[in-house]
Amino acid sequence: MAVVIRADGKEKVTGTGRYAADLTLTGLLHARFKFAEIGHARIRRLDTSKAKALAGVFAVITQADVPDVRYGLFVKDRTLFAKDVVRWEGEVVAAVAALTPEIARRAVELIEVDYEPLPVVTDLEAALEAGVQLVHEGWADYAIDERVLRDGNQASLSSLVKGDADAAMARAAVVVKSRYVADGSSGVPIEPRAIVAEWHGDKVQIWSSTQVPFAARTLVAETLKLPENAIRVSVPFMGGGFGAKCEGHFEPQTAALARAAKRPVKLVFSRREEFLAPDHRREGMIIELETGADKDGTVVARRGRLLTENGAYSNDAPLIAQMALHFLAGPYKVPNINITAQCVYTNTQPSGSIRAPGAPTAAWALEQHLDELSAALGMDPVAFRRKNLLADGDEGPTRQIMDSTHALATLDKAAELIGYGRPLPEGEAIGIACGWWPSFPMSSGIYLKLNADGSPTIITGAQECGTGAVMTLPILAGEVLGLPPEAFSIIYQDTETGPWDGGAGGSQTLFNNGRATIAAAEEIKSQLLKMAEDLLEASRADLELVDGKVQVKGSPSRFVTIASLASTATGDQQLLASGVGVVPPTPASDASGCIGRLGVESFAAPTFGTHAVHVKVDRETGVVRILGVAAVQDSGTIVNQTGAMGQVTGGVVMGIGQALSEGIQVASDARVRNPYLLDYKLQTAADVPPIKVGFIGIAAPDAGPKGSKGLGEPPCIPTPGAIANAIALATGARVRQLPATPHRVWSAVQQETKR
Amino acid sequence: MTAMAGTPSGVAPVTTGGGATFSQPTSLSGVYDALAAGARVVAGGTDLIVGTRQGKLKMPDHVVAVDRVAEMRGIRPTADGGLWLGALTPHEDIATNALIRERWTALADGSAIVGSHATRNVGTLGGNLMNASPAAETVGPLVCFGAVAVLASRGGERRVPVADLATGPGRTSAAAGEVLIAVELPALAAGTSSCYARLEYRRQMEIAVVGATAVFAMKGGAIAGAHVAITALSATIRRIAEAEGILNGSDGSPAVAERAAQAVAAASRPIDDVRAPADYRRAMAAVIARRVITGAVERAHGAGPSIPASDALHGAR
Repeated sequence: MAVVIRADGKEKVTGTGRYAADLTLTGLLHARFKFAEIGHARIRRLDTSKAKALAGVFAVITQADVPDVRYGLFVKDRTLFAKDVVRWEGEVVAAVAALTPEIARRAVELIEVDYEPLPVVTDLEAALEAGVQLVHEGWADYAIDERVLRDGNQASLSSLVKGDADAAMARAAVVVKSRYVADGSSGVPIEPRAIVAEWHGDKVQIWSSTQVPFAARTLVAETLKLPENAIRVSVPFMGGGFGAKCEGHFEPQTAALARAAKRPVKLVFSRREEFLAPDHRREGMIIELETGADKDGTVVARRGRLLTENGAYSNDAPLIAQMALHFLAGPYKVPNINITAQCVYTNTQPSGSIRAPGAPTAAWALEQHLDELSAALGMDPVAFRRKNLLADGDEGPTRQIMDSTHALATLDKAAELIGYGRPLPEGEAIGIACGWWPSFPMSSGIYLKLNADGSPTIITGAQECGTGAVMTLPILAGEVLGLPPEAFSIIYQDTETGPWDGGAGGSQTLFNNGRATIAAAEEIKSQLLKMAEDLLEASRADLELVDGKVQVKGSPSRFVTIASLASTATGDQQLLASGVGVVPPTPASDASGCIGRLGVESFAAPTFGTHAVHVKVDRETGVVRILGVAAVQDSGTIVNQTGAMGQVTGGVVMGIGQALSEGIQVASDARVRNPYLLDYKLQTAADVPPIKVGFIGIAAPDAGPKGSKGLGEPPCIPTPGAIANAIALATGARVRQLPATPHRVWSAVQQETKR
Repeated sequence: MTAMAGTPSGVAPVTTGGGATFSQPTSLSGVYDALAAGARVVAGGTDLIVGTRQGKLKMPDHVVAVDRVAEMRGIRPTADGGLWLGALTPHEDIATNALIRERWTALADGSAIVGSHATRNVGTLGGNLMNASPAAETVGPLVCFGAVAVLASRGGERRVPVADLATGPGRTSAAAGEVLIAVELPALAAGTSSCYARLEYRRQMEIAVVGATAVFAMKGGAIAGAHVAITALSATIRRIAEAEGILNGSDGSPAVAERAAQAVAAASRPIDDVRAPADYRRAMAAVIARRVITGAVERAHGAGPSIPASDALHGAR
């Protein structure tokens, strides 16, 4: 399998790479936002005159200075700056551009806002009660996607319904009910976001640390009322996103500020701002599950209710809530299902996609619930899963007929790698959890050209957010053209040069852009063979591309180098291609019993994973140490082994963080208590346990290049559930809150001891 | 404010934007000048700079960086068998000092777990003390060893027990014009054993949620001169006389350790904050106190946890 040094690795490791915050331009001003700093309030007075009068301030803008546009993915409920009401502490009220960051900070302090405080809504269940304060009093007037079922603080309602869950539950031999509560968490890219905007006449150049430059461009166009070709969004090196940098963010405000100041403007978030304001964080959830099974352990029915935290404004949270239903069904045979999901407005930071949105939290609940069920059945957790996991030919939750489904193989391999069943010392245990995730087929494209010296250049619209997906494209093109991956240059993450792309989200980059790359490379290969046919006096069927040459099969001495072909390409010959590839079909399904159907109904090229985690619990303190992890993913063919190992390792570490230490603490006034790295506890390098990674590696049909499936997101899905199950097995006490902080583990142990 | 090249002693400080000043003298005399002009001292900057960047602290208008003052640097034995630790001594130098590890073991336990690798190499002992955090890792051991802070000013030197230095979170008994130049560890009684540990949620970049120190001598199988202190369990880091009374004269058995630990918990005044609720902190006070007492007993017998004790007490890998 190919092992390559990624093209952007040297600059990143040596510190010579340039990120958005590193950019400087002649006349550059520094931006700073005035945030609401209050959970919910009506704006009585907003006065920027003192800030504007401060020496060194070039512009101060508010909602009055930008087009009156409400935007949002499903519900158009928000404006660029606060309008009349602030609904969460991180809402942007005004923006300042000044000569120095210090002057900008002082100017923000001089902006005067009089607030009339309004009651805050933070509790998901209380938010849905009659007569409660509405987060959006004028919600009924917003433009809305007609599939979204809204009602007061209910941002959306969806269901997953199959068969007759009530009847099947009534007949079940064993029924288990569980309730779980998960805190929200943050993506925490190590690079806080930075945006630079500079106008050239009526056109604006924006450099932004975004995962989705094309979506950012669309948002600027929509909110500032500009044609898309007046906006160029480029992304310098990016220091991680994890979903927090999906969707447009602050590019319009920065562009509007630069226009008002008549100077280029740079916005750089502090760590606190990166915690409070990105309006993309993992949602909190309340999850109630009930599952019935036959005596032999066969699951017959599931009912459930899911509440997810939308936050103050609605991005993709309604879709995430609907997708989470699939993760509460899980990669299992469940013939009868009835689960509802309500996405709920609160006066907290808007939630949105963070790595495998909805899935790790839902799987954390489901996998614990299944361990509780297997205990009630008197079955071993692995044996129970082996009996119920989906396999080829089984029916998924929306009656999709499963194909290329190797969930069982991941279970067996994970159990083998961790040494499941071996005796362990007191206080230690091994927990198991499974997970699944779809691939997302969509349009994607690249241009490929050979320069006059034969050096190849890939021009793609795809975005490299750190996963190495774009860096893997040369492997695919190189295999077709007989060139080493290192020979390629890549022009990427720029809306003006590459074809449209969905961006670094949904584990879609290599899955879709990889197919486009192979298609373009095949086109260049065809062009090269056409040129070589005459020179080598051989038909193309007898030619092959090897080591930078076109040569006659079986007669390697008869060859012409690609470099010489490139140098002689003239007239009607150009070694230039574009590739799109064929978008694979999404499997047929029947979701006719479901409501609030916002998009994902069946899982294309589904990926599966099982994680087994060996933990040690200090019963006296509740401190949990992870001693070892086995993580096995069915991701189809592995195209880039080095990159794939990195994704699984990083996903597991992110999963450990969500399981044990990463939780947003919200105070009763709806303000976040821990927007700092000391008290929002990421796992550090010193905490990372030995991780054994396994891949099933079987090529999948209707999938990505070479039969690959998406891999960026899935490896963070099973980890939290496996850890939760291990804690329960080690202590006899189940922690029903996420994260399982030492205090929560200790409390659970105390309660269990008292029983 | 921009860090400028070092200004020689006696040279006027650099004036930066907005009337703020920054100086970096190479002698105490220059420090006194800056203090007289109202400057605040910064050494490693791991509290002040991080705090101001987070918006938790306000950058003082006048700052004097003491990192080039030779009189504040070094570790040397004192005539009476103790140790003089310059205020600029980085935590890493303490954690790796063979003499400290052997004799003042609890101080090595604490210094080895301050913040991260970077913090320990830049942050200083003096900064840890003068920041006056109730969670400071080095202070419990220093208090229990009877360490003395050396405060210097234009008028001369003044010695204050470390136990009396902090008067509350972020507040010290140092007067305006005084700078901490060193900490003196007195000589130890023969057979002294010690241990410091904290409750920690992760292995690096951590701060004490609850901490405890135990220092005592084992003489003929009995504990003598027991000093037990709590960290992050009250407004200042202080000794718990009740626990010490239980330990003195005892054999340090598990039952005794448990009784002393309960006394520690009872004397704690924990707060509810973002890191832990008070009831959990109080329960952990007993657990951590018992573990450090037991750890010190084991060390007295040539066994016990390796340095840092926290790592071992949380379950090594």
